[in-house]
Amino acid sequence: MTRLLDVENLTLQFDTDEGRITAVDNVSFTLEAGEVMGLVGESGSGKSVTAKSIMKLNPSNAIYSDKTKVTLHLDDGPVDIMSLQTSTDLKVIRGGAISMIFQEPMASFAPAITIGDQMVEQLQIHTDMNAKRAQEVSIEMLDRVGISDAGTRFKQYAFELSGGMRQRAMIAMALSTKPKLLIADEPTTALDVTIQAQVIDLMKDLVKDFGMGIVFITHDLGVIAQTADKVAVMYLGRLVEQGAVRDVIRNPAHPYTKGLIAALPQLDDLDVPLQAIPGDIPSPLERPPGCVFNTRCSAIVGDVCSSAIPSFSKITDSHQVACHLYDEGASK
Amino acid sequence: MLQFSKFVVVRAVLAIFTLVLVSFIVFSLMELVPGDCAERYLAFKSSQGSVITAADVQAERVRLGLDRPYIQRWGSWIINAFQGEYGDSCILRLNISQLLGEKFWLSLGLCLSALILAYAIAIPVGILAATSKNAFLNNGLRLVSYLGLALPNFLLALMIMLFSTVVFGDSLTGLFSKEFRDAEWSYARVMDFLGHVWLPIFILGWSATAFAIQTVRALMSDEIGKLYVTAAAARGVSGRRLLLRYPARHALSPIINSLGFDLNRIFNELPIVALILTLTEAGSLLIEALARSNDQQLAGAIIFLLTASIVGINFITDIILALTDPRVRRSIVG
Repeated sequence: MTRLLDVENLTLQFDTDEGRITAVDNVSFTLEAGEVMGLVGESGSGKSVTAKSIMKLNPSNAIYSDKTKVTLHLDDGPVDIMSLQTSTDLKVIRGGAISMIFQEPMASFAPAITIGDQMVEQLQIHTDMNAKRAQEVSIEMLDRVGISDAGTRFKQYAFELSGGMRQRAMIAMALSTKPKLLIADEPTTALDVTIQAQVIDLMKDLVKDFGMGIVFITHDLGVIAQTADKVAVMYLGRLVEQGAVRDVIRNPAHPYTKGLIAALPQLDDLDVPLQAIPGDIPSPLERPPGCVFNTRCSAIVGDVCSSAIPSFSKITDSHQVACHLYDEGASK
Repeated sequence: MLQFSKFVVVRAVLAIFTLVLVSFIVFSLMELVPGDCAERYLAFKSSQGSVITAADVQAERVRLGLDRPYIQRWGSWIINAFQGEYGDSCILRLNISQLLGEKFWLSLGLCLSALILAYAIAIPVGILAATSKNAFLNNGLRLVSYLGLALPNFLLALMIMLFSTVVFGDSLTGLFSKEFRDAEWSYARVMDFLGHVWLPIFILGWSATAFAIQTVRALMSDEIGKLYVTAAAARGVSGRRLLLRYPARHALSPIINSLGFDLNRIFNELPIVALILTLTEAGSLLIEALARSNDQQLAGAIIFLLTASIVGINFITDIILALTDPRVRRSIVG
């Protein structure tokens, strides 16, 4: 496997009227080519902001810390993403080597521009195709993602397509420039369950064909179990657990991950009551000191939980957790 | 294409229907004013010293056709109105078309120019205000904008007149200098006209611009925050293209939609500005007709023309919207 993406010490604050809000705190992970990583967490855990940082898409009041280093490894050398400034430089991570698909396929197409025009526009920004060639490639892509009558759809507007069709078109557009990395921000959340499965299958297919890496953001562990090779769990801007998807889902180590898995409805035993994680995710303005999860945790070790930030401990070679339960010398 | 022509025809028929309906309301309102044209004229005559009897009034009614049924009179009025013929003024006994002459078109031209001025300024400034993070620029714009909304047009007109009288010794009133007032159109007259007309356009455009800037800024801020703009940025679209092709392009539809209302608002402000600048345009003639002399024929004609202009503008903006916004177009063409 070859390394595709290194995210090191990603720390991001937003400068707002209420002060500086820490959205992402010292997050590090890596992704290999052809690998799918699930990024899981509740709303407000910072998973979207993390993903957008990879494309520098966060609003202009975002401040990245100096330690933040994000490197994309391309065939012709590594790209230091944080150092990209001009729109010409940014092209490579915006629609070139990295593409993104969003949760709301309806809202992510411009309503008064045809799907075809938006696809051709992207191709012409990133390649030297002429309009005719770009149109052929776009229609091929629409066809590839399973859209029937692609030539007609090409001339249509997003509001004329069904939800599943729109998300397929979005995927076609994102992949038309043959990116190395695809960021999928809850791509199936807004879809019907049956359509969800189709879209997930399509994405798995495409990863194989194109050899891309995918960062798959979702709050749905079921989707992760089906799709991802590895998973990173986020809470309030911090990574709390990461590892191979089987390890993390079969043997969750962090109390938060355990809570997330226990909260899933179980179809084989409908009498089991749903287990909610008590409390709400705190406001980013009031981040708890120490372990960020200590205000809701059911397995507090002691004062250390509210005073020291836990560092990652190894459970197995492919499974790490940031929790004081697993500190050296701590009793389990 | 066939369906589009059908749309245009349907909209045109609807516009004409609206106009007929409005004309009926206008005509009815004119009827509700106590007394009629015959009484009004003879009362005017009697105030000049003539002795008027009831038989005279009746004879005048017959002469003017006022003895015919209401609907019939409305029918002939509307048919004439569509041909640009509005009968005679009750008091002045002059043909209304001749009386109005070019005044109505001058008024409409003034209002349209003010509207164009307003959006010519508001669209770039509004876009700038919505995208700029510069606090100084934004606060400055806000101040000017509120000033524009708060400062009444007539006060601005008075201030400018006072200023120009003191500084230049010329009050800048009227649309023409004395020597050109009743002259034939010529190059010199056009230049003289342009030398005068900027002031009413500026004053009328003043608050319209302030209002339009707020509208454009709000619409743009709304659109800029939408996901499709982020998505376009994520595809590598950047700079002016990202701004104009995405949020600006999509903020345009509601602006086009409101042009008719804007024109109406400007027209409402015209009479008082005209009064101060002593412009002899249709708006002040309307006030004259309504308030001073109860001249229902004249007032009706002006209101009809004004309504026709607004219905006309709305018809045009409907067509433009259908051409520019696929959501509207597809709802027509299918």
